[in-house]
Amino acid sequence: MTPPSLSAALRRWPLLRPATALLATAAVTAALLALGGHHPGAVFATLIRGAFGTWDRFLSGTLLRATPLLLTGLAVAVAFRARVLNIGAEGQLHAGALAGVAVAVLLPGATGLVLLPATLLAAALAGALWAAVPAAMKTAMGVGEVITTLLMNFVALYLAQFLVQGPLQEARGVFNQTDEIPAAAHLPPLFPGTRLHLGFLIGLGLAFALWLYLTRTPGGFRMRAVGASVRAAEVSGRFRALPVIWMTFLASGIVAGLAGWIQVAGVTRRMYEGLSPGWGYTAIAVALLARLHPLWVIPAAILFGALSAGGGAMQREAGVPEVWVRGIEALVILAVLAVDQTARARADGGGRD
Amino acid sequence: MCLFLAALGCDADSDSAADSAAPAVALLTSGPVSDAGWHAGAYEGLQLIGDSLGFRTSHQQTRTPAEFDEAFLAYAQSGYGLIFGHGFEYQDAASRAAELHPEVTFVVSSGSRSGPNLVPIVFGLHEASYLAGMAAGAITRSGTVGMVGGVEIPSARGTFIAFAAGVRATRPDAAVLETFIGSWDDVSAAKEAAAAQLRQGADALIHNVDAASFGFFQAVREARARGGEAWAFGMNRDQNDVAPDVIVGSAVINIPGIFLETARDWRAGTLGGPMLTGLAGGSVDFVPNPARSGVIPAASLVRIDEARAAIVEGRLEVPRIDFLEPAAGDPPSS
Repeated sequence: MTPPSLSAALRRWPLLRPATALLATAAVTAALLALGGHHPGAVFATLIRGAFGTWDRFLSGTLLRATPLLLTGLAVAVAFRARVLNIGAEGQLHAGALAGVAVAVLLPGATGLVLLPATLLAAALAGALWAAVPAAMKTAMGVGEVITTLLMNFVALYLAQFLVQGPLQEARGVFNQTDEIPAAAHLPPLFPGTRLHLGFLIGLGLAFALWLYLTRTPGGFRMRAVGASVRAAEVSGRFRALPVIWMTFLASGIVAGLAGWIQVAGVTRRMYEGLSPGWGYTAIAVALLARLHPLWVIPAAILFGALSAGGGAMQREAGVPEVWVRGIEALVILAVLAVDQTARARADGGGRD
Repeated sequence: MCLFLAALGCDADSDSAADSAAPAVALLTSGPVSDAGWHAGAYEGLQLIGDSLGFRTSHQQTRTPAEFDEAFLAYAQSGYGLIFGHGFEYQDAASRAAELHPEVTFVVSSGSRSGPNLVPIVFGLHEASYLAGMAAGAITRSGTVGMVGGVEIPSARGTFIAFAAGVRATRPDAAVLETFIGSWDDVSAAKEAAAAQLRQGADALIHNVDAASFGFFQAVREARARGGEAWAFGMNRDQNDVAPDVIVGSAVINIPGIFLETARDWRAGTLGGPMLTGLAGGSVDFVPNPARSGVIPAASLVRIDEARAAIVEGRLEVPRIDFLEPAAGDPPSS
């Protein structure tokens, strides 16, 4: 237990925990950089310049990289709020990307007004389908979703590998990747000359929608009640938890599925093995840093996007090797987990809304 | 917004290369340059360019395609005139960046597309791999040889097709096993794949992976420690010193030399079209491990030398996979 004064302070300033986590990370990183012969101040300056130094770096670097983390972070946050421990955002992301690409490649000639919504719908359905399997196993057989969602990730990764080598492989048949999607399926850039695309706005929109749903609707209340305690919710709220759990799985899967296709339609323009460097897992740290609040997922995702974009600049301009960059990201995640009390704390306070 | 960014240096050219008149060259790799192979060779090439030509150098290891585009553009905007993307995976992003920055030259290792400022390097590694295959065919006792690859891309498949052809040139009845582990860096997967081939009787194994090669060599080492007779071949870089106890020779690309030549041509303004390299220019070769001389019989080494000469003179054509796109100067398909 923390001393009373500290826990009182934490209650009073809810941002204190994440801030402490970040400060601790910065201190440890600075010490390590100094030990490695780098000048911590100069390296941090490069990191910040790389992430925020110019409009282009902020939009085409930081926010572009934050986009998949924003969407997967929302998927995890909404699931964890109802205490559905969805570790499967990575697999749902791949399922969504595959479905979107399949529709885009198999429906050539469709106009953007038809194609883009069709691909988004396909991605959402695929993500939901991928989440439905663990949902069914949990609700019908009581199988814990941590293991099932995790295993479904591998199914998705191998399915992607199979499809890009086989049925969905490029017409040329040389590389293990799909053809480029038609221009009608591209998510347009938000500002001319930058690479930030409409997907970021979709992410912002979903964050607001999920926040409104969670805080302003009976369905959202039930979700939070189930997250606090299934038994208490059923006894006092006079509703069954089962549909709420299903609903949570599907919503989480839909958002994660969209994340995958949005990355393809906005950035990569084709599907191949290894689309994601683990966004579905980093998303857990993003969601926890945001304390499972949909709106706070936005700055949390931007923070990780900035770390990643700034990390690139650290390599290019300060000559800091990539292992350092990954190390710093890992330290942030560790610090978040160490300082934050994760979803368990939600049972007492009910969360900040 | 720019107001608070101003404190952090909001001016667009805060990272311009105006402070230095020397040409600047940058390298992107998708794996660690500590792999003692494919990426390490590129990093040596970058340093060689810096040391020999006095260019400013910079390197970034990238993870996702969003980073490919960003890194190409960031380097181009910072005044880097020559940018290497070391691997076919950079082709799409390099094509896009080349359109936006006609003043910058983009070089893609094992790339497929040429343009006014877009240069693919085609490594004739299959020719060296064929010679390694001849050596493998000569030293195998079981008559089974193995090949462990990373991701199944044409350049990797091509080296294996040539290796198998070399094996059969010396031992027509040989069985050739092939496994792609789906990753360039997964050490344990490479070790498992090699161990599985060893269990199936393979006793001469080659790889085409990056950092995963450490696991591949370890599997052969452990098989030998158990009293088996098995040998490994190195790939991409002269790896004879990486595991001198098990490697009989390496199919080597002189990546640093090719990078240096590319940079020289670029400075001279003569760089254009695909950079085609092979045994003929001395850019690739099969290099027996001097620490394991005698494993490959002297008579076989003579036949390998004859084959090398025949390939250089065009009398012997090694099977290959051609992945260059037909029309040079094609605009990217987007």
